[in-house]
Amino acid sequence: MSHNEQHKEILLELRNVTKHFPGITACDAISLEIEQGEIYAILGENGAGKSTLASMIFGLYQPDEGQIFMRGKKVHIDSPNKAVALDIGMVHQHFKLISNYTVAQNIILGDEPKKRALGVFPYVDIKSAEDRIEQLSKDYGLEVDPRATISKIGVSTQQRVEILKMLYRDAELLIFDEPTAMLTPQEIESLLTVIDNLRSQGKTVIFITHKLDEVMQVCDRCAILAGGKLVDVSHIKDTSPAKMAAKMVGRDIEFSAKRPSKQIEETVLSVQNLRVEDSTGFPRVDDVSFEVRAGEIFAVAGVSGSGQVELADTIAGLVRPKRGKVMLKEQDLAKLNVRKHTESGIAYIPEDRQSVGLILDFALDQNLALRSYYQTPYCKTSLLNQKAFSDHADKLIADFDIRCARGAKTPVRGMSGGNQQKAIVGREIEQDADLLIFVQPTRGLDIGAIMSIRKRILDERDKGKAILLISLELDEVMDLADTIGVMYAGKMLEVAPATDLSMTKVGEYMMGVTAND
Amino acid sequence: MTKQSKMSPEEQRLEKLQEQSEQKRRRRDKDRNVLQELNRALDAATRTLTKGLIRGFGNERWQSLTIPLLAIALSLVAISILVLMLGSNPLNVFTGILAGAGWIPKPSYGGGQSQLTDLISLSISLTPLLFGALGFVVAMRAGLFNIGIAGQMVVAGFAATVLVGYSDLPALIARPLVLVVGAIAGALAGALIGFLKHRFNIHEVVSSIMLNNIFIHVASYLIKANHLNHASRNMNAASAEARLLTEPVQFGEVAARLPVGFLVAIAMSFILWLFLTKTKQGFEMSAVGKSPKAAQYAGIKIGPTIVFAMALSGAMGGLAGVTHYLANVPAMTPDVLPALGFDSIAVAFLGVVHPLGAILAATLIATLSSGAVYMGSVAGVRHEVASVITGLILLFTACGGFLRAWLDNKKRSFADDENLKGGDAS
Amino acid sequence: MNFAAINYSAIIVDGLSFALPLLIIAIGGIYSERSGIVNLALEGLLGFGAFTGALFVASTVSLFAVTSDVPMYLSFVLAALGGAIFAMLHAALCIKFMANQVISGVVINILSVALTGFLTSTINANIFGQASERFMLQTSPRWDIPYLMEIPILGAAFTRVYPFIFIILIVAAFAWYLLYKTRFGLHVRAAGDNPQALDAAGINVARVRFTAVAISGALAGIGGMSFAYSISTNFSPAIYMGFGFLAIAALIFGNWRIVPTFAACLIFGLTRSAAFQLLPVFDAGAAVIDLAMTAPFVVTLLLLAIFGKKNKMPRALGEIYDKSKR
Repeated sequence: MSHNEQHKEILLELRNVTKHFPGITACDAISLEIEQGEIYAILGENGAGKSTLASMIFGLYQPDEGQIFMRGKKVHIDSPNKAVALDIGMVHQHFKLISNYTVAQNIILGDEPKKRALGVFPYVDIKSAEDRIEQLSKDYGLEVDPRATISKIGVSTQQRVEILKMLYRDAELLIFDEPTAMLTPQEIESLLTVIDNLRSQGKTVIFITHKLDEVMQVCDRCAILAGGKLVDVSHIKDTSPAKMAAKMVGRDIEFSAKRPSKQIEETVLSVQNLRVEDSTGFPRVDDVSFEVRAGEIFAVAGVSGSGQVELADTIAGLVRPKRGKVMLKEQDLAKLNVRKHTESGIAYIPEDRQSVGLILDFALDQNLALRSYYQTPYCKTSLLNQKAFSDHADKLIADFDIRCARGAKTPVRGMSGGNQQKAIVGREIEQDADLLIFVQPTRGLDIGAIMSIRKRILDERDKGKAILLISLELDEVMDLADTIGVMYAGKMLEVAPATDLSMTKVGEYMMGVTAND
Repeated sequence: MTKQSKMSPEEQRLEKLQEQSEQKRRRRDKDRNVLQELNRALDAATRTLTKGLIRGFGNERWQSLTIPLLAIALSLVAISILVLMLGSNPLNVFTGILAGAGWIPKPSYGGGQSQLTDLISLSISLTPLLFGALGFVVAMRAGLFNIGIAGQMVVAGFAATVLVGYSDLPALIARPLVLVVGAIAGALAGALIGFLKHRFNIHEVVSSIMLNNIFIHVASYLIKANHLNHASRNMNAASAEARLLTEPVQFGEVAARLPVGFLVAIAMSFILWLFLTKTKQGFEMSAVGKSPKAAQYAGIKIGPTIVFAMALSGAMGGLAGVTHYLANVPAMTPDVLPALGFDSIAVAFLGVVHPLGAILAATLIATLSSGAVYMGSVAGVRHEVASVITGLILLFTACGGFLRAWLDNKKRSFADDENLKGGDAS
Repeated sequence: MNFAAINYSAIIVDGLSFALPLLIIAIGGIYSERSGIVNLALEGLLGFGAFTGALFVASTVSLFAVTSDVPMYLSFVLAALGGAIFAMLHAALCIKFMANQVISGVVINILSVALTGFLTSTINANIFGQASERFMLQTSPRWDIPYLMEIPILGAAFTRVYPFIFIILIVAAFAWYLLYKTRFGLHVRAAGDNPQALDAAGINVARVRFTAVAISGALAGIGGMSFAYSISTNFSPAIYMGFGFLAIAALIFGNWRIVPTFAACLIFGLTRSAAFQLLPVFDAGAAVIDLAMTAPFVVTLLLLAIFGKKNKMPRALGEIYDKSKR
């Protein structure tokens, strides 16, 4: 992974590229030069303008000001088609795949090889496409079956399909937008190998991420964005993670908020032999047992889809288990409905804050009483008391620093993600429940909101609450947990004190590698 | 100047050439400037127009009123053009409709008729339309498309006619009973849709279509087998005591039967409005409608809420059925789903899916249908033009979301422009 | 009971005469819905198509010889055109004006009934100088197919056949090829599953959906015209008998796929014609036919209740695709 010192041809150049959105300048006069054959990282926090920048290179947005040059020629990229014509390709953060089509059909979509039957009727020549894809996947080490249906293959294979899509169109400049967000450490490793492979075949890669270690590992150069501005471009070999991190957030940050638990007391939640099945009878949670004690953060690590979310939904009462017990102190909740769970003392911050945790079309005050609207003072003999709603909202807005344009009556849809999450966390903490379940509590938030929410979690723990934290961010798990449980394919593979587990070890369990293997 | 004197003749000639081209360029620029001015003026004009539209229709608070008004205005313009092309006067069409519906006096009235009797006929045809629209509104609150209003009308109309209409109950008992039977029958038909959705996950639009056709064919079978009036080819009519029209009431010269359901429908609009906004059940229905997952998280029981909402919606559809079949028309016609069941869906949308908006929308659409025949006789245009007006109003209303988004967009871009200007100045 | 009196041939012929128009309308629905646009407007589209075709026949009938079949064939072309143009209104509402697709469908149906009613009587009065609410058509010829008609039992399918049966079979086969074998078909089906992905592949989603809905209208128009010939030999508002909704039942029954939908239409058509033919045999009153007519709807509903989980509605069906929100 050496960086070639020779002066190389500039493939892509941005000059003073600027993009405004209503109320915000997403990219502010950004100038970059990307050389042929390098892996160029664009690093920044959420909202730093990385994705907007990439979208402009790929023609999804047009810059308001500034120019883009491709191979020295000024270009006007007004659509993804134009970008593809200029040999630019992009792997989006959310894959763009047709779920009921095969791999080959997805790859050729929009650029289908044609043949004619009987010399008249044109048809899509899927056979030759499949052959070409097989060849490509051999050339670049991207293992995939062109005849498999998308809905039946895993996330990392789907990503390979996205990469093949670009290669099929002979892309020279490949943009990866946060490509590792959905992958396990091991899958990340193999993706980075593929990217390295692409470079050795002469391709140029733009790698957008907020993860420093990935940048260090494969990239040649790195541009750092913060608040829409380009703050630094440096050669990886001349810089250090600490320097980059400081530039990324504009100040020195402590990497860890870690505060060990003061005192762990009696068991609050005891899950015993829990089994949860999906509608087809497939076990999502398989014979899981563990305990969470007062004053403890029990963090569950695992790759996306290992059953963590189903586990949380079941403990909170949203899903009925097939077998097993969910004991909150002395009471078995497994057979009770959601409301009984809430009333017994479970607060739940769900993974999907916009469609589960909140009703976006409702006002803030209604959302802040979403779990208690049926009780006094909000409701007496079926009639709602509007004043009780707004008084309660005013109090939570002040206590939890929820920023909202029109106070209690603000429609939640218009609020920022961070403030939406604060509203949910505020509402749930206010219940004074014995057990708080947090699922992906900081996903997609900016660094300020992340810190504030992590602090709330620690505060609640220190107040003697039992905390069940479920996160796909391994950093978050390692940072906050007193005890770590790792789930894989619905099973709880390992439970151990956080101090006994290294990050690598947890990563291995997440991949289903047990000590016996 | 001093420079010039030092120049060689060649350089001077070059200079001159340059100057000439410079002049040419300036002239061209001038032309271009004129064009630019023109462009700017055009821009300014469209901006003023858009700004005017934004001022008139951009206020979100009033959009539920102004957008339908815009839709109505657009369709009136469109119909005027059509009528002009047919060689008639559009004003005659509009006044003809208003006069026919009883809003303005006709030049002359036939025996036993007056403006008042016209208004009463209007209220008779308005009633089922309003009930139907209310039914749709209630379901929509819970996020459900009740396309099955027509089917619920058939079930209720049939049940009420057979159970009450063919009995010898006195009017004082029969009429309230018709309303009750209609509401219950409709509620059951509606609840079935809710149940199919909850239990079997069948989309309500799909099950509604199936059930509409099942209901009308089963009812037609029963009518043809047992209750057919062979003269009219309709169902045997209900007794006068059971029909939802009072005994004739004398108003000076003229007598008229008053619709029993009309005031019930108006009252029901207000009751539903309060129910949906001020009660726990209304809150739960809205929550399920806006986000079923969040509602479940809030501890609301989704299935029962859906079934309840559909039952309530179906009850309104049932009331539409009895006020249609036992007041608006003489009797049920076999094999025909009431078009009114579908019209009321559109009426609900015209009334911005609000129980009170439904009153205004139903009044408008009923006016169009009620005034059509008279208009046809005076305006020289076929009476069917009234239903075309209805269709166009609904068409433009369906674009309401787009108009709203467009205005929003314009408003925001204007606001941004202002902000940028402000930024430059500081 | 006299089974000898059962006219098996009529069951098959009438069954096909009903099933195939239904099929072509349902295929229309499949095109629209596979592209992601809910189409409850089929009823209105088939009516408007039949109106255009019948208007053409009524206004040009004097130009052709009385025995000529040319107006009939041309009327199908015009019906397809009329249906397509009216369907573009639905497409514009759903795609450009971001209207709710269910509501748009309902509105298109209402508008179609109103417009065709108004135009038929206005044109009759103002142009043909007669007060009528219908356009008369010529009786369609019926063909006996040599040799094939002599096959026992199945031969009935080839006797007294409406020419539109062949028109529909050819169009349906082409529609199948277009949807499953060509680039356009690949794009249509992608638009209904994941429009974002199609857009990212550089295909204009709005254009694909617009075309699909227009095709939907053209096919529905052909179906409507066939019904106008087979059921009433005229166009009048009585064409709106709910066949559009029956077609929706058929395509749901067929899981949004053409071949199973064909099977559904055959079942619906044959049940219907069998009921008509069997009535006198079982001495049942004419009313029983109404019960038979519920069969397709009941069966579809039961099927959904039992196999609901296996039902594969297009994933993005009914979703407004807003390019700016990608």
